[in-house]
This record gives sequence, structure tokens and C-alpha cells, in this order.
Amino acid sequence: MVTGSNAPDVATLMRIYRRMSSIKQNDERMRATIRAGKLAIIYYSPRGQEVIPSAIAEHLNDDDYLVTIYRGIHDQIAKGVPLKSLWAEYAGKVTGTCKGKGGPMHITHPETGVMVTTGVVGSGMPIATGLALASQMSGDGRVTITNFGDGASNIGAFHESLNLASIWKLPVVFVCQNNGYAEHTHYSEGTAVENIADRAASYNMPGVTVDGNDPVAMWKAAQEAVARARAGEGPTLLECKTFRFMGHLLGDDSHYIPKEEMAAALEKDPVPLFRQKLIDDWQVPAADLDKLDADIATEIDEAVQFALDSAYPDLVENKRDILAEEMA
Amino acid sequence: MAVEILLPKLGFSMEEGVLSEWLVADGASVTEGQPLYTLESDKSAQEVEAPATGTLHIIIDSTGETYPVGTILGEIR
Repeated sequence: MVTGSNAPDVATLMRIYRRMSSIKQNDERMRATIRAGKLAIIYYSPRGQEVIPSAIAEHLNDDDYLVTIYRGIHDQIAKGVPLKSLWAEYAGKVTGTCKGKGGPMHITHPETGVMVTTGVVGSGMPIATGLALASQMSGDGRVTITNFGDGASNIGAFHESLNLASIWKLPVVFVCQNNGYAEHTHYSEGTAVENIADRAASYNMPGVTVDGNDPVAMWKAAQEAVARARAGEGPTLLECKTFRFMGHLLGDDSHYIPKEEMAAALEKDPVPLFRQKLIDDWQVPAADLDKLDADIATEIDEAVQFALDSAYPDLVENKRDILAEEMA
Repeated sequence: MAVEILLPKLGFSMEEGVLSEWLVADGASVTEGQPLYTLESDKSAQEVEAPATGTLHIIIDSTGETYPVGTILGEIR
């Protein structure tokens, strides 16, 4: 247990756990719903990566910006996108965050700061850098978080974004969720450096490697990076080491991951581990956690039903949001 | 209430799949999450779980045939 003035209190840890439990349960429901044939979509499970956005969210305001990627439903939930709108968009329904016209790859919900979700590896970082530039120019005080995977740090846009953000001291945090595999390729076969955070040296910004499955370590690392951005001191490259349990996308059997590596990772599943820690180290009654988990399950039930019951956008709706003026 | 067993999309470009084998007999009891049938798509073969608990009513029993995503394979009542 971490103590001292710069340590999260039990209320903070409970909020982090709540987000983690929401993400885990939501993911389980999403996979079951797709496997039952009720949703025919492509799905990138965030299972195993719950801690990262759940801890970062503690340091963000509702209007801080987030740019994330196709494996991003954990980031979207942690940022506060309502589950009903989220499920409806995943299902392509008119009640979704983008009126059913964005789909799972492009969740956008400015009301909670989720400015865009991108489907092309590495393409979110230049957008996030632009949002941060806008915040700097307008002085709105917002911080931008941009998430990406380990493979994306080999894309040119990563290097261009870090360079510009550093030169202009932009209020952005580059969050690399390093889950060890770029699609089906092991980290060591595609990336030359031992830690992606080492690459920050080239762009004269702090590069921090943190255990992305440790809620307290993650909370502290995010606190420093967000504070630095908010104070106008510039960007940070925050590399969060994690693992994904469910392959690259639903239907991928993870055959390219050694069985021992997968078993060791599952043994350290961060969600049940943290739950037990709250009971053992923080004296949180198990009944409180049971209730919290059950309330989340009910909320997810309602979101799924809402999405399945909603209508698809009609032809008139399909012509909206394309041009500045309404199309005839 | 009957729950339909629909052929799921389990891959990036999967539009159809081969119903290889029912793992549970028609009319038998099934529990949600229990392996129900084997599905082959272009890249893999995998077992798909029962979407609900109840009695299995098989609608399509011609295993080895290809069907589009969304096909009603059976029901659980």
C-alpha cells in the first residue's frame, strides 16, 4: 500500500475500480452479444488493459480532450461516454454517439471530450496535437490525451507529432498502451528499442515507463504528466506496459502468443487483483464491491436493450452531417 | 421466451461460415456459455457458446454447409 501525501485515497481507488469493473463487464457483454450473433461487428477487446484509462481519468476534467483508437472502448467508458449512446453507436443505431453513422471504429462524443476515435494505426496523434495547439492558442486550459498501441510508435506520424508537440510545448499526453503485440507480431520483432518511452529523448520530453496494470503507479504517473501539460510545460510520453487477453480482434485465437505467456498474464488479471487489494489493504467490505458490480451489470443490461431496441438511421438522416448546409 | 442462435461475425472480413458440428443434441438442455456448435470461417474453426439457458431446438442440422452471418441456426426455449 502506498501512503503519504501524494497517494490516492480510498475514495479515489474506488472510483478507479468502478471504471475498471465497468470496462471488464461491458467487454464481457459485448463479446457475448457478438458471439450470440446479435451484433455483426468487428470488435477489438480491451480486456486486460482496464487500469490505464481508469487511473488517468482521475486527473481529467469532463471537457479535457481524448483521441483514441479502434481498441478504445475502455478509454471511451473511462472518459464518461454514456453506455447507452456507446452501445447504440456500436450497433449502428440513430440513438448512438454519431447517430449510427460512425460505428465502433469512430466513436466521437464531444460532450465528454471524446473528440474522435480512429481506425488507422498511428493516425490519432497528429489530430491530438492539433487539438492541443487549439487549446494553447485559445487558452482554454484543456489537456489532450491520445492513446495508441506499441506498433503505432513505429509510424511516422508518432515521431512528427512528438516533435511538434515538444517544440511548441503543447498540453498533450501521449499514452502508449504497450500490450506487447502489434496485431500478430511480438514487440521484439517490430520495435528496435527496449522501451517506447526511450524514444522521448529524441524529442526532448519526459519519457516514462509505468506498470499499466498497477492502479496506484498508473495514477501517479498520469498525475505528473497531466499536471505538466496543464501547467504549460509541454508533453509527456507515457508508456504503460500491459497485456491484452482476447487477441487482436474477436475471433483471433491468439495462437501466436506462447501459452505460458498468456497463462502468466491471466494469472495477474488486474481487475480481480485490485478488487482483492481493496478488501485486504483498504478494508473495503466485499458486500460494497458486490453491490457496485451488480449495479454496473444492471446499467449494462439497460444499455444493451436500448441499443438493440433503437432504430437504424433513415435515408434522410444519412444525408445529414455531411455538408454545412442541409442536403435536399 | 425463445432466444435465436444466430451465425456470428467472428473475423474482420467474415461474411459467412461453415456450420461444422452441433456439440449438443436437438432437444437437449443447454446452459448459457456452454460450447454449442463448431463454426469454421476463412481463418479459423472455433466453438461457439450457447447464448442462453434452456432447451435446444436445432433449425439447421445440415452440418458442413456454408451460411451467411445472421442465419438462424436454432433456438433455445
